[in-house]
Amino acid sequence: MSASQPAGTATRSLRVVIAEDAALFREGLARLLLDRGHEVVAAVGDAGALLAAVAEHRPDVAVADIRMPPTHTDEGLRAAIELRAGYPGTGVLVLSQYIETRYAARLLEGNAAGVGYLLKDRVADVAEFADALARVAAGGTALDPEVVSQLVRTSRHAQGVATLTPRERDVVALMAEGRSNAGIAAALVVSAGVVEKHVASIFGKLGLPPSEADNRRVLAVLRYLGP
Amino acid sequence: MSSGTGPVNPGAGGLAAALAVVQAPLRARTRRELLFCLVEVPLGLALIAAPVALVVLALVWRFVLRGVGGGGPSPGVVSLGVSFLLLLLLVIMIPRIGREFGRTHRALAASLLAARVGEPAAPRRGHGPGRLLAPLRDGLGWRCAAYQLVKLPVLVVECYAVFSAAVGVANLTYPFWWPLFRNHAPGTHLGPVDVLTPFGVFHVATFAGTWAALAVGTAMVLAAPWIARAGAAADVWLMRGMLGPGRLAQRVADLEQTRALAVEDSAALLRRLERDLHDGAQIRLATLAMNLGLAREKLGEEADPQVRELVESAHQGAKDALVELRNLARGIHPPALDNGLADALATLAASSPLPVDLDTALPQRPAPAIETIAYFCAAELLANAAKHSQASRVAIGLAETGPGGALVLTVSDDGQGGADPVRGSGLSGLVQRARTVDGRVEIASPVGGPTRVTVTLPMHI
Repeated sequence: MSASQPAGTATRSLRVVIAEDAALFREGLARLLLDRGHEVVAAVGDAGALLAAVAEHRPDVAVADIRMPPTHTDEGLRAAIELRAGYPGTGVLVLSQYIETRYAARLLEGNAAGVGYLLKDRVADVAEFADALARVAAGGTALDPEVVSQLVRTSRHAQGVATLTPRERDVVALMAEGRSNAGIAAALVVSAGVVEKHVASIFGKLGLPPSEADNRRVLAVLRYLGP
Repeated sequence: MSSGTGPVNPGAGGLAAALAVVQAPLRARTRRELLFCLVEVPLGLALIAAPVALVVLALVWRFVLRGVGGGGPSPGVVSLGVSFLLLLLLVIMIPRIGREFGRTHRALAASLLAARVGEPAAPRRGHGPGRLLAPLRDGLGWRCAAYQLVKLPVLVVECYAVFSAAVGVANLTYPFWWPLFRNHAPGTHLGPVDVLTPFGVFHVATFAGTWAALAVGTAMVLAAPWIARAGAAADVWLMRGMLGPGRLAQRVADLEQTRALAVEDSAALLRRLERDLHDGAQIRLATLAMNLGLAREKLGEEADPQVRELVESAHQGAKDALVELRNLARGIHPPALDNGLADALATLAASSPLPVDLDTALPQRPAPAIETIAYFCAAELLANAAKHSQASRVAIGLAETGPGGALVLTVSDDGQGGADPVRGSGLSGLVQRARTVDGRVEIASPVGGPTRVTVTLPMHI
């Protein structure tokens, strides 16, 4: 779908650090990123090496697996949170085979700029993944649809969400994933003008302040949905 | 040698047996067994001595009262009353005292004979006014006390062992001190000296006679180890029967232990299986899907449509397989459980079609196997609520209660109720799952609702 989209930020060559303990996936990911014209400055296998590599290379974006040695629980997530606090200029895209609600909450705590949380499956849709990576590197947001649907379900504003039409709910979900109006229009196969009308209606219904900038808009939606 | 061809050489066997007999008194094992007999004798007599001591005490009391004299009720009545009270107290205390003695006997057997006798189950505590008399109902305590009586014949054997060893050694010394002390002037009249044997006393009047004492002493010293061994073995046999937990109780304890191991083992096995899937098949499939995605992009618009279709379907197939594999792995062991029940239940709640209120803070984490059981119980109950209850909200609560440490999981909904473990295989499976760790499931689900299911599990297995 978004492969046909104008590439936009995706054409910029990014400096990337990869942290993933499975060598097969790590190398595949590095090859994919090279193929898209990015530079993989370091590809490491654990959280400690990730922190060291980011300190050394100051990349545009770090891609981190959540479960890594030694405990194989959430060390990648903890490293990602540390990176977000210590290196605001570096986007952090967390990949995992599972979406955990509490993990998403910890990752997004306070601020959703320059952060992403995707299932590893999403890498298979190469163009969309490249877009997500570029968004995160540029300070935007890239959330897995599953994260968004969990946020919508557990939102403390379930009643506000209930007032939305089904189409508006689709738009909210895509907005929360971090997409721009153009991206939403492409995903729903409608014109940008239609999306703009939906967005205005949503902001009115949820009582959110209108905002032109994509990123601030995403933040407002996430804060609204947030646990 | 009677036969050189036989498989067993009786001559050598006899020699070895003789050697064992000669060496037995010098062995460390013999020393320990004799020491055991030495300590057991007064200990064994103690419980029998206790009533005697009590009677003496009562007599002394009576004597004191008579000394005091004066008014009030007649001393005889008071004394009788006091004696009766003391006797009652003693009878009540017998099971408790029996248990304490039993503990000492078991400790002796463990430290001196390396014979482990299991501990019987603790006595049940009484409640209310019956509490004072609770010891009377302590069957195991009575059995421990009965051991003191039943072991009397064994006590005789143990006594003999100690006697044989001690007096035997004394008898060995006769020829050595005889010349030193029996060197009086000729013509002095001296009485004969007594020599103790297990079969009576004989008298020695001459130096030559002391050699007979030496011979008897040697026989006693050589026999003592075997008497001690027989006494100790009989005592241990009796202890196992009367001071231990009993065969049935021991079997229950063994089964509880092996069941706990089995439950823990199966939880660990599932965890490992999930990890293997995560690090193996899931990674390979994700990489495959990624490569197919890349291939699909590279094919471009001008490729053979048939090839493109094939690649696209392979790409989609790989992605679908990933989703299926993820759901499968999550069903085996949800990975968020590694971070605790609260995290895992949060994800469970977020993927439920019903809104879920969570209250899952716990002061400490239960054992991993317990967390797994609690998680799957919650998952089953949540799925049930979503499927059958027509509820609008579900609440999941976790709490730890009591000093014994029980984990209480409650899942309640505001639906139409009528949940029945007899009809729903899901609920009966839940009960089975909880029972593997002695957990309980209480279902309150009147027709018309609401439904509240309480699962109580131990914190540790």
